[in-house]
This record gives sequence, C-alpha cells and structure tokens, in this order.
Amino acid sequence: MCLLPLVAAGQAILDKPLSARLTGYDIDVTLDPEKHIVSGMMTAWWVNNSSMPVGEAMMHMYLNAFSSNKSTFASKGNWSASGKEGWGWVKISSMSDGKGNDLTGLYGYVSPDDSNEHDKTVLRIALPEPVAPGDTLVLKLDFISKLPSPIRRTGYDEDFHFVAQWFPKFGVYETAGMRQREADGWNCHQFHPNSEFYSNHSVYNVSVTLPSEFVTGSGGMLIEEIDLGDGLKKVVWRAEDIVDFAWTAWPGYEVLDRKWNHVDITLLTSKTGLSKADNHFEAVIYALEYLNERVGPYPWPHLTFVDPPFNGSGAGGMEYTTLFTTMGAGAIPSFMKMAEMVTIHEFGHSYFMGMLASNEFEEPWVDEGINSYWEQRIVDHYYGDGYGLLRLPFLKMSDADQGRISYVTSPNRTIATNDLPSWMYPHGTYSMMSYNKAAVWLHTLEGIIGTETMDNVFREYYRRWAFKHPSGQDFIAVVNDVVKNEHGNRFGEDMNWFFNQVLYGQGECDYRVSGITSNRIRSYSGVVNGDSVTYTRSDRSSDTLYLSRVSLERLGEVILPVEVLIGFDTGEEVLENWDGTGAYKDYEYTGVGQVVWAKIDPYDKIDIDINRMNNSFTLDPSGATTRRMMNKFMFLVQMMISIFTL
Amino acid sequence: MTLFNTLKNGAVKAVSSYKQILLIWVTTLILVLAVGFPLRAFLNMIFDSSMIVEKLNDGFDIGVAGDIGRPFGALMASASAGTFLLSIAGFFLMTFFAGGLFRRFTMAWGRQKVSDFLRASANNFLPYLRIAILMMLIIGVLTFIMIGLPGIITMAITGMQTPSGIVMKILYVLWVLVMPVWLFVADASRRWVAATGSHKTFRALGAGFRALRERFWLSYGTVLAVLLINAAFVAAVFWFASIATPDKGIMVFLFFLATQTLVIIRLFMKAWRYAAVCEAVQ
Repeated sequence: MCLLPLVAAGQAILDKPLSARLTGYDIDVTLDPEKHIVSGMMTAWWVNNSSMPVGEAMMHMYLNAFSSNKSTFASKGNWSASGKEGWGWVKISSMSDGKGNDLTGLYGYVSPDDSNEHDKTVLRIALPEPVAPGDTLVLKLDFISKLPSPIRRTGYDEDFHFVAQWFPKFGVYETAGMRQREADGWNCHQFHPNSEFYSNHSVYNVSVTLPSEFVTGSGGMLIEEIDLGDGLKKVVWRAEDIVDFAWTAWPGYEVLDRKWNHVDITLLTSKTGLSKADNHFEAVIYALEYLNERVGPYPWPHLTFVDPPFNGSGAGGMEYTTLFTTMGAGAIPSFMKMAEMVTIHEFGHSYFMGMLASNEFEEPWVDEGINSYWEQRIVDHYYGDGYGLLRLPFLKMSDADQGRISYVTSPNRTIATNDLPSWMYPHGTYSMMSYNKAAVWLHTLEGIIGTETMDNVFREYYRRWAFKHPSGQDFIAVVNDVVKNEHGNRFGEDMNWFFNQVLYGQGECDYRVSGITSNRIRSYSGVVNGDSVTYTRSDRSSDTLYLSRVSLERLGEVILPVEVLIGFDTGEEVLENWDGTGAYKDYEYTGVGQVVWAKIDPYDKIDIDINRMNNSFTLDPSGATTRRMMNKFMFLVQMMISIFTL
Repeated sequence: MTLFNTLKNGAVKAVSSYKQILLIWVTTLILVLAVGFPLRAFLNMIFDSSMIVEKLNDGFDIGVAGDIGRPFGALMASASAGTFLLSIAGFFLMTFFAGGLFRRFTMAWGRQKVSDFLRASANNFLPYLRIAILMMLIIGVLTFIMIGLPGIITMAITGMQTPSGIVMKILYVLWVLVMPVWLFVADASRRWVAATGSHKTFRALGAGFRALRERFWLSYGTVLAVLLINAAFVAAVFWFASIATPDKGIMVFLFFLATQTLVIIRLFMKAWRYAAVCEAVQ
C-alpha cells in the first residue's frame, strides 16, 4: 500500500499554511459497503511545540461511542444500535512509532470527563521515550472502523454512508497560558451527546478505495480518482488546516457545483433534494458573503455540503469545516426558511470552531452561541428583518426571535451560568443555554456597543485567533480592546461588567414601566401668615402646566443601560438613557404636555430582557389590534364552517 | 335545460332566498361571537397597557409569543378548543339549515315564512345529518385511496418526506375532478328528501346516484362550475383577509363589515349550488 507523501512534501491547496499544523494524517483505507467497515492504515504525526518533553499521547477514538449502550454518548444520548449489526467501533490492529517501536500494550482507554469505565473514546498512549520539544511524534497504525446504525452524526443506512469521527485522532496538546491553562497537558475529551469538536488544524491526505458506483464527497479537495478495475476506484483527497476530516459515499448522490469568488461549492444531494438545491446554494453564498465581509475571509478554494437523503437524515446538521451537512427542505414550504437556516448555521461553523477553533466541550457558547448569533444575523438580513424564518401575510418570525423565545420561555433560564462544559448543563438546558442564551446576549451586546463595533470585534477576533484555539476569555479580551478603542470609557473601564452578568452570572434581565402620571400644577393655595389664600375658578383655568412622572423599575438582577422613549400628548418625544443601576427610576417633566406613553428599549436592543410586554406603557391602549385579531378569527371560523360542511 | 340556464336559475333562487341566508349568517355570527368576545377580552387582559401590540399590526409576530409567556399557551389552547367546538357546532348548524334551504328550492316557488324555513330545517335534520356523515365518510375513504395510500407508497419507494412526482400530481387533479360527483350526489339526495318528505337515507342516496346517472354531464358540469367559482372566491377572500391589517378603530370596523359581507356572499354561493342542483334534477 502506497502512502501519499507527508505534508512536508508541499502545498496542494493553499499557498501557505494557515495554521501551525502541529498534526497531520496520511490515511489509506478501503470501504466495505456490505459490512460498513472502513479499514486500512494511517500515519499520524504530532509536533511537540511545548518547551517540555512529553511522555504520552492522547487520541480520540470516537467511533467507540457507538460500541455499547454504556458509553457516555450512548447512555446519555439515548442511542442504541439497530440490531447486532448496528454497533460501531474503531480498533487499532497495530501501532508503532516512527522509529519502528511496537507500541502494543502501551496504550489504554481513559475517561477524563466522567470516569465512565465503559467509555472507550479516549486513548492514552504511554510513549517508550518522551517527545522532546520541537520533535515530531510519528505513529503508524493499522485500524478498522465499523460504522454504526442508526446514524447519529456518523454511520450508515443501507448503502448510504456518512463517515465522521472515524479514525484515531490526536487531542490538543495545550501549553501553559493557552486558553488560560496553568500547565502543559493534553486536552482530549470523551465523545459526548452534545459536543465532539476540539482538535488541531491539520493536514489530511486521505485515500479511500470503494466500489465505483459510489459517489463521494469530503472536506478535502479531490486530488484524483483512480479506476482500479474490477468495479473499484480509489479517491484521493487532501485537506489543509481543518480540524476534522469526514467523508460520505452513496450511489444515489446527485452532484451540483457553483462558484462563489474563489470558492468551488459542491452540493451532494438526493434526486428528491434537487428541487431545493438552489435554496441551499443561495443560503451558503449568503453566509459566505456576509461572514467574509464582517468577520474575515474564507480561505479555502473548496467547500462541500451534503443534503442527505431521508434515510441519512441522522447525519444532517453537522459541521466539518470544509464539509457540512444540512437538512432536506422537501417537506418545508417556501415561506419557512428552516433548511436555509440549518445550511447557514452549519456553514457558520467553518468560522466558529473551524477557523476559530474553540473548545466545544469546555466552552460550547464560544462555538454554538457565537455561531447561532451570526446565523440569526445572516438569516434575518437576507430573508427579511423581522420575518427571516417565517413569512406569511398574517404570521411572521425572525430567526433571532426563534432563539430568544427558547431562552425567555424556559423555566430553567437561571439554573446555571452560561460558561459550563457541554455535559454539565443541568435539566436539559444545554441547547437553550449554549445556543440561545448566548446568542441572545450577543445580540444585546451588539445593541449596546453598536453593530459596527460588534463587527469590528469579530474582525479583530478573527485577526488574532483564526487558526488558533481561542477561549471565551480570549474573546472577551478582544471585546474589551475593541470597545475601549472605539468608545473609550463610555461603557466603563472594560466590558467585564457585561460578561460577569450574562455569561458568568445566573440572573435575568427585566425592566418595566410601572406607571405614568400627569397632574396639573395648581396655583398656590393654602395658608399664609394665618390667612387662607384661595384661588378662583379663573385662576384654575389659567393653570396650564403639568407635572408628568414616568416610573421605571428593574425587576431582574442584571443591570444594563437602557434607552427610554417618552411620548407626550403634544406629539413631542424625549429619549432618555437610564444606566439601569437602581431598582427604580422616575423621570419627571414639567410643561404644557402630558406624558401619554413610555417605552423602555424602544429599538429592541436589549434582547436579553425576558419580558418586553412590560417594557412599554400607554394611557391610551388601542383595542384596534385585538379587535382586528378577533375579526380575523371569527371570519376564519365562519369560512371554515361554510367550506367544510356539505 | 342547459348548463347556463341551470346556473342562472339557481342563482336567481339563491338570491331570492336572501332572508333565509341572512338568518343563517346571523346564526353563525352569534355562534362565533360566543368565542370571539372572550378571546378579545383575554387578549386585552394579556396586553393590558402594553404597546407591544404595535408589533402585531403587520401580522402576528411569533416573537411576541415569547414575551406573552405562559398565557400564550393558554390562549392557543383556548383558541384551538374554541375553534374545534365551533366547527362541530357549525357542522350541525349548516346541516340543519340545509334542510330549510333545500325545502325552499324544491317547493312551489313563492314566499317562505321563517317559521316554515325553520320547520323544514328541523324536519329534515336527521336524514340530512345521516347523508352528510355518509358522504363525508365516502369522501374520506376515497381521499385515502386516491391520495393517502399512493402517497404513503410513493414515500416508501422514493424515501421522500412528502409525496410528490407526476403520479401524485395526476392523482390530485383526479381527486379534484371527482369531488363534484360526490357533492352532486349529496345535494341531489337531500333534494330528494326535501321533495318527497321521506327520511330513508339510503333510498335518498340511491336517488342521488340515479339523478347523477340520468343527467350526468349537466349535473357534473353544474357542480364543477359552481365549485370552481367558489374556489376562486374563497382564495381571493382569504388573500384579502390575510393581508389586511387595519390598525385604526374605524378601519377595523370597516374590515369587520367587509369580512362579514364576504361571509354572506359565501353563504349565497353555497345556496347557489343547492339551488342549481335542484334545478338540474328537476
């Protein structure tokens, strides 16, 4: 078996490396589509970039998450095989180092996250001799990967194969100071139901031999496809500076191509998905365009995405940087942009977790939260502000609201802080907190510092941290620097007060207008020097000034600056800024006009306010809207009665 | 009698029955008001003095549902239950009034007192109810055979999430083309009950099928023409109702008048079908 040359042999895709390329993989395997087994050999290398010798290596063996129902993934994620053929696993047949030392017997499984003895998703290798600083550890392995069924992220269904988390892969060796780490060490987490990504940007040379009728796609660039005869072919891919390599093979794929600037975009879809291909392409081009402009360039010349067939839908909605999977749009009417939303979200991970390779296990908000924030901005920007996700003449919903609803309606929204590791969120709050609460407070941050500054934050975040491993604190440091640079001390010395409340705190934000009063200011009446002074009726009519008071309250623990818009019966409007620090605030106005309404956060900047119903108050509530809603309801029912009866 | 004359005479008879149709309209209005008023009071209570209702001026913004919180669930549950109950009551109501209308369209032409209309409605109610249930069952079974079953098979074969493809499109068209047959049979059966005074359901259905066979093209054409006009009308009024977002008091009142006028027109069009079928059978 001939291996492709190591990465040192040269660049195949990019002009120069984007990352430190501390790890790389040359893999040559064969897919047995009958047994759903991928087997072959791999040469993997890791560069010790620390200042200390390293005596052990750690690798992901994530396919073992499917080897029993007792693994952390299966037991907490309620996954079980579809019959005895459905279990998935990865086995190492032989392992040696670059010097030819047999490493058999020097490795075993560990469970750093939960000490689950049944979990075999992290392999620890005791090296016969430490890797000196600057040296490279080379591992040569023969391995066999059995794909699981039913598909959950990875696996097979009949002849559909989505091959992800399928080979032994190095964890990340973190040096002291990296991601605020105190000492050097491996960061290699188990495979969890809610998280699976934290790896080095690597170079992959992957060859797969499989039956010729299979149509394939991967996160790599196709280097060549060789006809081996006997109904077999070998597909050779190369990928550079991506954090994971996945591929798919299915005879039923239709392959469509588009070009956007320097990027060749390939969509693998089923015949039934063809009719929605334009929607998916449009969505991914929107995302490319938006993120290129506001975050940073997408550097690769290739991008592949998959709209899996119905039986492969378990592989949908996943991200592998230059390969992602979306969801079928066939059953979704055109006024709903659910599939487009998934396409945009999964592509967004090319940036948030792909290029900006944060640790999804330990800080899921940096991955899913930031990505959801951008997904919502993109969807609402291109498909309609206020109705990006759903647009009917009588019904609408923005993508940002979709996320916000999940947070504000959750009874558990104060149960935990937003900075927990993915597997630590209690009572099923992972998605609500990691995706939605984080996106909500990022929108709020945008509301406070402004969209332009927010975009500059992400441009700087990209500039500093692309193709590295940023932590949440690294992101906050960028926010502090950019805000300080653009606004000085307008928001304080730094923005930590914001993150301490929304990220590291558990409180909630709720402001309300508790009331409005307006009283005529009377001419003097009372007792002066023992004599009663009264005013006449004519005096009373000459009283034309009013004292109006708007009463505001802060009901939640979270303190944010808010704008307050106050309207007078004269048509005049006044915009106030309340720092929100007190439990209450009264605004008083003396003049000929009376206050008739008041709105806290009139421009919906503070998304994290859990109740916008109480953000406004009017002395003249209009019943027109509710009357119209009642009219429409009655009309609808009357028409239904007349239509659906004989 | 030609198709045009059948439709014309049917229309004239339907328009002449305006008192009966207005009575039906008033009854349906009272029925829906029984749910509409509490619904409005509930909405007013929820929104109270909040100005968030401004966000509902351009259609219902689901984002507001998050702010409404738990009461929104109660609102949806109440509205759903209310709609269901109104639909059941409406079904009985329309079945009841169909008895009076068919009697009007089969009797010697002349004035029909409201009391006579209601008496005929009551007299025909049970056989009409049986006919309605039977015909709806037939239509339901046919729909399952023509659309449901092929759809399930198509999805199983193709692995699609929704039934589609040319075969399904042909079946949809066929289903629409077959619908006038069942509606004509239902109407002709009820006409037979109204004309003969007999309450025998299956004999009535037999008479309906017989009438269809005897003058198939006239019968089929009559119902198809009325159905197509009705479908266009319904599509237009739903479009209007969905895009109309009056936000001022007087405009909302005008919207109420407009929608109720459309309901009355829709009731006229239903009566038109009844009358046209009666004309076609005579």
